Amino acid sequence: MGSIVQVTDLVKRFGDFTAVDGVSFSIEEGEVFGLLGPNGAGKTTTISTISCLLSPDGGDVVVGGHSVSGAAMAVKRELGVVPQEIALYPTLSAAENLAFWGRMYGLAGADLASAVDDALALAGLEDRSKERVEKYSGGMKRRINIAAGVLHRPKVLLMDEPTVGIDPQSRNHILQTVKDLNAGGMTVLYTSHYMEEVEFLCDRIAIMDHGKIIAMGTLNELREVVGGMDVIDVKVENVSDPVLEQVRAIPGVSQANRTDSALQVLTPGSGAVLGKLVATLESEGSHVTSITVTEPNLESVFLHLTGKSLRD
Amino acid sequence: MHTLFVIAGKDAKVIMRDRAALLVMLAMPLALIFILGSALGSIGQGDSLDIDVAIVNMDTGDTGQRFVEGLTGSKEIEALFNIDVSDDAEAVRTAVEKGDLTAALIIPPDLSEKIAAGEPVGLEVLQDPGSKIAGGIWASVVRAGVANASAQIIAVHTLQEELAGAGAQPPASPGAAPRMPSMTFDAVAVREIEAQVDKRISMISYYSAGMTGMFLLFGSMFGAFGFVKERREQTLARMLSTPAGKLSIVGGKAVGVLMIGVGQFAVLLIGTKMLFGVDWGQNLGATVLVGAAEAVAAAGLAMTLAALGKSERSIGGIGPAAIMLFAATGGSMIPTEQLPKFLLPVQVISPVYWTVSGFLDVMRGASVADVLPGVGAVLAIGAVLFAFGTWRLRFE
Repeated sequence: MGSIVQVTDLVKRFGDFTAVDGVSFSIEEGEVFGLLGPNGAGKTTTISTISCLLSPDGGDVVVGGHSVSGAAMAVKRELGVVPQEIALYPTLSAAENLAFWGRMYGLAGADLASAVDDALALAGLEDRSKERVEKYSGGMKRRINIAAGVLHRPKVLLMDEPTVGIDPQSRNHILQTVKDLNAGGMTVLYTSHYMEEVEFLCDRIAIMDHGKIIAMGTLNELREVVGGMDVIDVKVENVSDPVLEQVRAIPGVSQANRTDSALQVLTPGSGAVLGKLVATLESEGSHVTSITVTEPNLESVFLHLTGKSLRD
Repeated sequence: MHTLFVIAGKDAKVIMRDRAALLVMLAMPLALIFILGSALGSIGQGDSLDIDVAIVNMDTGDTGQRFVEGLTGSKEIEALFNIDVSDDAEAVRTAVEKGDLTAALIIPPDLSEKIAAGEPVGLEVLQDPGSKIAGGIWASVVRAGVANASAQIIAVHTLQEELAGAGAQPPASPGAAPRMPSMTFDAVAVREIEAQVDKRISMISYYSAGMTGMFLLFGSMFGAFGFVKERREQTLARMLSTPAGKLSIVGGKAVGVLMIGVGQFAVLLIGTKMLFGVDWGQNLGATVLVGAAEAVAAAGLAMTLAALGKSERSIGGIGPAAIMLFAATGGSMIPTEQLPKFLLPVQVISPVYWTVSGFLDVMRGASVADVLPGVGAVLAIGAVLFAFGTWRLRFE
């Protein structure tokens, strides 16, 4: 299968600020491709350019053989878009919302009715289809938000952080939905700053920071960026800047970064570091509550590449 | 074109489910029409029994004077009419034309002379067509006066002939007897003339036109609210990611406001007719044309408000201010002739002015052709507002 989405040297500026700075990647047909990065990395700008909401200032995006610069309408017909916000009409019912978005893609009559039914089934909300969306829970709204993006059965589905602010149950439902859609042949571009979601869903992943792709590959390929390092996650209270500097100075510590009440340390050999790490923290009054040693994940890859956490 | 109507239908449905919008667009105008129309109703009512009339006696002889005395000297007539005796026929005609007088009697200069010569002569009764009943009563009174005068003349004439036959001198009688003409008042015709004046409109009808003219524009505010809300909640961005062009989206939003306006107008038209008995005139087509034109202007105004307002809050400030200005200068609140003259030039850019004028004209009997210039003006204003709004509209 060939590339269905080809992004080449994409540049997008807002005044003096360059939100996307020379981004290139391609997505194969039938693939789930992840864009991972912290807030402000340029993920939404990239996805907005692919969906023709923004015009590129440089480079090009080609979807299904059509360029966003010359054939935006043809590109839009190939795409389904699930925006980060719940872009629905609260006073309309779920069925009315879905019917509206279906009509916007040219569906009508029996095809529209069938597509609405399928979308409601996908969201698991057949029995509440006539209720106004404003009465739904956040998770239910998210599910209808996704259903509205896929009911016209697009070739490529763009999903921009579709699980923000929802409960774990709804998140699991959404992740499984993405899996199912992909299993049905739909190509998916999925952006998130939750590494677990990207690890779970994506065949290939591009990590973005400051408008650039800093790493790209399969999960295993990205893990290799960190090499044979171990990741030590320390649950700890009161890690001040001087303490963090002391941790970074411990022999064998490649990188260390603080997130909320946790400390993540990259090291080639955890055995040689653990004792000194705990001693340093305790001596400086930082109370350690738990320590976990794991294989590298996307968080540690990001930490390794940027020196900061995905959630920074 | 398909997506345009899809968007318009969705917008109309969304606004119809907005209780605040329905309150402002339907309940408020009906309530204001009722309150203002009821409070000020007596000002415009034509058929009261306190009937203002005038008599102009231009007769150079005595007959006219006797006739005037006959009318003004009756207590029964006095109870019905406020009679003003004037010698300025033009001023009286103008007063009837303006509706300041319900009716008038004009006695011609040659009444006595014509009666004496046995020639036909006419008394002119002017009536305000907006006060047909009161005017008709006045005409009846004049006719009765003519008949009474005829009877007196016949009686005196008969007496004169009998006395002459007996060789006696005719008695000196008060009034016309000494110079009584040789004929009766039969040759005197009472010509009832409807003054060429506008049909008078009751206050409830006036405010039905005025408030409808004003509140049809409020649909624009909710249309603009909808656009800004869609921009904020990203449904507009989602629309832009579909194969719908920007022109279809803007057109759909405008047509949605237009649909709401037409529906709102239908409800107000039927509501005021059924609830308050408002007479919108005999030409429904002309009335609908005037209302539909303003719905178009409302659609244009919606685009301008959406372009100028960054948020619902700012539109909530700009929108009512603009609409109230249009309404105040357009005659929604008080008749435009009572406005200060410096405001009059502003009227021409107020769609409310043309709309209210159009409604009132149709109430007075205007045809479709008569309202076309005003309809054209409203459509032109709407087109300018739409073009400006579309030019300045921000989608992101």
